[in-house]
Amino acid sequence: MNQTPLIHLVDDDPAVRDGLALLIGTVGLRVMPWAHPQAFLDGFDRDAIGAIVLDVRMPGLGGLQVLEALRAQGVDQPVVMLTGHGTVAMCRRAFKGGAAEFLEKPVDDQQLLDALQAAVRQHVRSRQHHRADREARERYAQLSPREREVLGLIVGGLTNKEIGRALALSPRTVESHRAHLFGKLGAPTLAQLILRYAQLVEDDAAPDA
Amino acid sequence: MVYRTLPRWVWPTGGLLLAVAGAAWLLQADLAARRAAFDTDARIVHRLLSQQAAQHDAMLATLTLLQPGAATASSSPETRLAAVYPQVLQVLRRSDSETWPAPLARAEAESAALRRPVLAGADMARGQFTLVQAGTPASFALRIDAAAAVPWADWPLPRDGPVRTLLRHGDASWVLQPGAGEATGWRLLAEKRLASDSQPFTVVVTRALGIGELPWARLLLWCVAVAAAAAALTAWQRQRETARRSQELLRLGQVGRLNALGELAAGMAHEINQPLTAMLASTQAAQRLLDDTDDDGPDLATVRRALAQGAQQARRAAEVVARLRRLVQPADTAATQPLRLADTVHSVLYLLAPQVEAAGVQTELHGLDDAPAVLADPVALEQIVHNLVNNALQALAAVTADRRRLQIDAAAAGDSVRLTVRDSGPGFAPQALERAFEPFFTTREGGLGLGLSLCESLATGMGGTLAARNQAAGGAELTLTLPRAAPVAPAPA
Repeated sequence: MNQTPLIHLVDDDPAVRDGLALLIGTVGLRVMPWAHPQAFLDGFDRDAIGAIVLDVRMPGLGGLQVLEALRAQGVDQPVVMLTGHGTVAMCRRAFKGGAAEFLEKPVDDQQLLDALQAAVRQHVRSRQHHRADREARERYAQLSPREREVLGLIVGGLTNKEIGRALALSPRTVESHRAHLFGKLGAPTLAQLILRYAQLVEDDAAPDA
Repeated sequence: MVYRTLPRWVWPTGGLLLAVAGAAWLLQADLAARRAAFDTDARIVHRLLSQQAAQHDAMLATLTLLQPGAATASSSPETRLAAVYPQVLQVLRRSDSETWPAPLARAEAESAALRRPVLAGADMARGQFTLVQAGTPASFALRIDAAAAVPWADWPLPRDGPVRTLLRHGDASWVLQPGAGEATGWRLLAEKRLASDSQPFTVVVTRALGIGELPWARLLLWCVAVAAAAAALTAWQRQRETARRSQELLRLGQVGRLNALGELAAGMAHEINQPLTAMLASTQAAQRLLDDTDDDGPDLATVRRALAQGAQQARRAAEVVARLRRLVQPADTAATQPLRLADTVHSVLYLLAPQVEAAGVQTELHGLDDAPAVLADPVALEQIVHNLVNNALQALAAVTADRRRLQIDAAAAGDSVRLTVRDSGPGFAPQALERAFEPFFTTREGGLGLGLSLCESLATGMGGTLAARNQAAGGAELTLTLPRAAPVAPAPA
């Protein structure tokens, strides 16, 4: 997150690689050019934020095959496909394989850069989403069973008094649980709490139901 | 496209089955006809013999009734009866005073009881028998010779024919006609008792059908006809398959050429797209770098590098195009030779004759035989003329059949000879006329747009030209100009 996004550019033609790298560099994106698809698959940094530009027509391993390999490995970077002469079938296959964009060569600068920036934004969002998700899960795991019950009722919209009645607890005890779980979950307000954990509570309750 | 063809064995096998079935039917029909004729003959034979038997009964009845006396020997009935009826060998008469030998007496007693004539004994080996009728005062008996009783005049069968006829009585029988004997093959048989109570003989008619009597000629004719039909159908099928195969080959060839062209186009697109992509990216990057209003101004070194790369990629693209041209360009030095335009035009019209006739196009040729020879490559010239005529025919499809005219003129024009192909079709649209010779330009559905372009290249290669225009009266006019073969003849004095 602290790094500028990295664009992996896979094309067997050195001139195309150089030209596109130069172009992509002008908008402040870092470019990592790859001449060989296999070398790229073996060596690229899967954790970095960024996107991948793949040429469809490459000797040995074609772009569509690389795309399929990436998806099979669970790589989450968005992929922009480039082709010299795209057919409808090829385009369909690319999107089916999870390509974010399918562009025809020679590609216009604005089109390519827009596509890449959109892809990077999407990647950042999905990574953030994933991280927030993981954090919430970890915090939720720290709650005691009683606190989870209380949280479930809070999310259900009950007041402290109602919760006490439902769980046969004194309002004071409920209040204490409440303070604890707010602290453990790191939620500053009730609204934040519900926003972040309602889904988790629901998922947790579902198997028991 | 999948062609379903009948296997080769269909016609011969079908023919064989048909021949066998037809032969069986012919045999069966022949046999049925013979049986019907035989049955009719047998019925006639039975009727004639039954009539004779009835006559014998009638004679006896008459004798017994009239009782001709034995008074005078001259009036003795036997002599007179035997004279009229050759089958009567003897008439026996018994008055009260006489007695007959045992067989006759026994028969007489039976006759008296039954009140009708009774058979008193038969010598079937000799074909003779005796009939007795009891009467008062005298009883009569007739000795009959069956051989003389047969009415040969009315007999339906030839006496020495193949049919065997006999009269059976008990185990013995007397043969009227010996027939042809027991041959191998079929045997027709008819048996019936005579319609007479007194003469209990069974008429047996048999006919042996020999192998030689089968309708061989008709059978042979039938088989030959079927074999000929099967052979003709096989030949027809083979011919059709051959025609279909050659059509298929032709189509495959066309598809193959189109595929090759498609492959060429795809390869070309890639080869040219790569430098174009690099060029576009580099120059646009340079633009962006120049637009960059950073604190220390644009990075001119990078801009320079980007532009240099763009230029280099432009050269790369040009090289690809040049290489492609070298690859597909026909040899520069066309093998030109003196040619008569008339020969080429006639050969092309011969090739296209089916289309010309099918469309009902009226063809007019002018000046072809008088035109001087041209200097051209025969294959290229034929290709050009073929394309021009073919184009004209396609254009003529757009007008009604009665207005389809194709006009081909040749004329000398200085050092050149002009061949003009005019059609009465709709002509070129203004925009199409401008771009007529442009590669890949076509107004025809599914056309490649290479025909006229190729023709022009070929004409130019031979030192000629190709021009297109619309006639004043409408319709396209294509003019091919080619160098004249022989030097210009000196102007007539």
